[in-house]
Amino acid sequence: MNRVHVKLLMIAAAGSLLFSNSIVAQNSAYTPEILPPAPKAASVKITEGPKLELARTTWAIIKWTSNNPGGSDQHYGVVHYGTNPNELSQTAKSPIRLNRNHSYTVFRVRVLGLTPQTTYYYTVDSMEATGRGGGVKSTVNQFSTR
Amino acid sequence: MSRLRLTIISVVVLCVVALCMSVGGKKVSAQNAASSAEPLYNPYPPGILPSDLPSELARVLREVNVIEAEAIRQWHALKPPVLTGQPPVLQNTGVASIEILGKLMNFDKTISPNQNEACASCHMPYAAFSGPIPSVNLTMIAYPGSARYRANKRTAQRYTYSSYFPPLQYDAVQGLFFGGNFWDSRATGYLTRSPAGEQAQHPPVDTGEMDLPDTACVAYKLSLAPYRPLFEKVWGAGSFDITWPANVATVCATPGGAAIFGSNTMPLTLSPADRTRANDVYLQWAQSLSAYEHSLSISPFTSKFDAFLKGIYTMTSNEAAGYALFNGKGNCNSCHLDGRGTTLASSQTDTSTAADVTPVFTCFGSANEGLPKNPRVAYYYETTPDSLGFTPNPGGFTYTDFGLGTFLRSGFGAAPNPNSSWTQYAPTVDGQMQVSTARDVAMVPPQCKSTEAPGPYFQKEFFHNGYIKSLKQLVHFYNTRDVYPFPVESGECPAGTVEKVTCWPTPEVVQNVDMTTGSLGLTDTEENQIVAFLQTLTDGYTTPYPDINTYTGTCMSGGSAATQGNSTIISAIKLRELMNQH
Repeated sequence: MNRVHVKLLMIAAAGSLLFSNSIVAQNSAYTPEILPPAPKAASVKITEGPKLELARTTWAIIKWTSNNPGGSDQHYGVVHYGTNPNELSQTAKSPIRLNRNHSYTVFRVRVLGLTPQTTYYYTVDSMEATGRGGGVKSTVNQFSTR
Repeated sequence: MSRLRLTIISVVVLCVVALCMSVGGKKVSAQNAASSAEPLYNPYPPGILPSDLPSELARVLREVNVIEAEAIRQWHALKPPVLTGQPPVLQNTGVASIEILGKLMNFDKTISPNQNEACASCHMPYAAFSGPIPSVNLTMIAYPGSARYRANKRTAQRYTYSSYFPPLQYDAVQGLFFGGNFWDSRATGYLTRSPAGEQAQHPPVDTGEMDLPDTACVAYKLSLAPYRPLFEKVWGAGSFDITWPANVATVCATPGGAAIFGSNTMPLTLSPADRTRANDVYLQWAQSLSAYEHSLSISPFTSKFDAFLKGIYTMTSNEAAGYALFNGKGNCNSCHLDGRGTTLASSQTDTSTAADVTPVFTCFGSANEGLPKNPRVAYYYETTPDSLGFTPNPGGFTYTDFGLGTFLRSGFGAAPNPNSSWTQYAPTVDGQMQVSTARDVAMVPPQCKSTEAPGPYFQKEFFHNGYIKSLKQLVHFYNTRDVYPFPVESGECPAGTVEKVTCWPTPEVVQNVDMTTGSLGLTDTEENQIVAFLQTLTDGYTTPYPDINTYTGTCMSGGSAATQGNSTIISAIKLRELMNQH
C-alpha cells in the first residue's frame, strides 16, 4: 500500500467519523422495503412519570413516558381525575401521534376546566384512536392548581 | 441651521411627499380603473390593510402577465401531439400540452370577473406557489379577492406536492382522516379523484377570491381565451359548443355573492346539455391545473435533500444535526414523514436505508397544533355589506376556525361535506388543519435568500392563519407552546414577556390540541439546526426551479427571526375597539 493510498484511507476514515452513520447509509444504493406496521406492545409500561408538567389556575398538563404502545398512529393519553382520590370520575384526553421509529412514547394530556387552588388526584392510561385501551396501570398521583 | 435653510428643506420635503402621494394615487386609480367599477370594500380598522397593497397587487399582476406570456411562447413552441392508439392518447407531447395548458390557466387574470386576479395572484413560483406579497403575509394574511378588498381567512397554501395528496378518506383502523386538499381538506376529490384538481375548482367561485358567480363562467372565459386551441387540442374540439345566454358577459363580470343573485349559484341560464358541457369544461380546468401542479415545474424533487438521498450531496453539520433532531428529539417526522426505515434506536442514530426516495414530508393527515387566533386576519372585520350587498363574515370576531371539524359539519366558511358518514367524527377533529408537506416551506426569491431575519429575507407566513412569521418561530412554537402558555389574546402578553418568544397566547381551538409537540426541550441551537434542515427541502438545487426569478419586489432586512413581524402585532382588544369606532 503506497503512501497516497494510506492517506486516502485516513481521509475516508476521518470522513466517516465526521459524518453520522445515517449519512453514510443514505449514500448506499436505494433498497425498497415495506414499512412494517407499528408493532403492538405486549403490554404498555410506563417508564417515567406520570407527573405534573405544568399547572395554571384552571388547567394543567400531565406527562408520562411509556414504551411504544404500537397500534394506531393516532393515540390518546387519558387522565382520570377528581378531587377525591377514591372517585376519579372525570376524564381528560389529548391526541398524540406515535412515531414508529421511536422506542418510547411521551404522552402529554391537557386537563382543562379546573378550579383554582385545588388539589386533584389522578391516574393515567392510553388508548388507540379507535378506543382500544392500552392497559396501562399507574398509581394515584396528585397535583394542585395555582 | 438658519431659518431660511429650514424653510427650504421643509418645502423640498413637502414637495417630495406630495409627488409620492400623487404617483401613489395614480397607481391606485389605475389599479381600480383596470380592475373594477365598484367602490373599494374597506370595512377594516386602521392597520389591517398594508399601506402598499394597491402597488403590490399591481406588481404581482405584472409578474403574472410576464409568466403568462412565457406560457404562450411555450405553447407556440410545442410540437402538437398526435392523437393515436386505442384508447386514443396524445402521443409524445400530450403531457407537455396539458401541463402548459394548466400553466396558461393558472396565470390567466381574465378568468376573474374584474380581470384583475389569476390563480397565481396568491400563488407565485418564487414563494413555492404561495403568497407573493410580503406586506400581506405580515398583516391581513389572506389575499384580496377580485372584488377588492374582500378577503378570506387563511393563508394561501403552497401548490408544491399538493397533487400527491390522495382523495379524503376516513381510516377506521387508524381513527384518522387522510387526504384531501386545503387546510380543512374540503377539496376531497370525491368526484375528480384528484383533490388538487378539486382544489382548483374552489377559488374561481369563492366569494373572497376570484369571485365568479357561476362555475360555467370559467367555461365562458376559457372559450374567449387566446389558448382555446390548446384546450381543444387536449380536451377535444367542440368543448365550447355551448349556447350562452345574452347576459353571459354581464353575469360573469359581476362578483359572486352580489345581492342580485340571491342564493342562486347558477345564474347563467343554460340548457341541461350545455350545463353538462360547461361542467365538463370545469372538470377539465381542474385536471389541467392539477397536471401543472404535478409537473416538474412545481413538484420536481430537486432539493438538497433529494440530492442527499441520491448520495450526491453531503449535508453540512448543522443540516445533519437538524435532520437527526427532525427524526428524533423534535419528533417532526411523526407527521412530516421523511420516508426513512424503522431501525431508529433509542440513541437516535439511524443506520437504515431510505424506504422511500420521494417522501413528501406529510402523513396526509390533520392536527390541531393549538395556534392562537390571529387578530390581524382581515376576515374578522368584514361584518358589513359591500357595494354589491355581500357581507363576507357576519359573525365578525366571534368566528372560530374549527378547520376539518367545520367542514365535516358542512359549516359556515367551509363547503358541503359529500359524505354524511364522516360527520360523526367532527368533534374529534375540531381545530384540525392539514399537515402540510414540509417541502419548499423555505423557498423564497433567490435575491432574498431566506425566510429569516436579519436577511435579506422574503417575508412569508406560516400555518393556516399566518400567525407565525419565520421558520425559527415555527420551530420555537412546536418547542415551547406549553412552556410559555398565557391565557391572553395576541398583543396582550404580560409585561416582561415577548410574544412568540416567551409568551404564547391561548389556542384558538382548545379541543383536540395535539400533544406530540409543545414542550420538546430543544435548545436555541437545536431549533436553528432544524431550520437549517428545513432549508434543505427547497427545490431547485439539482436543477433550477422554473420561474423562480420572477420576483420584482423588494427584500427585507434587519431584526431577528425570533421576533420577526412582532412590530406589526396589534392587540386583539385594541382592534375590536377600533372596529367599533370604524
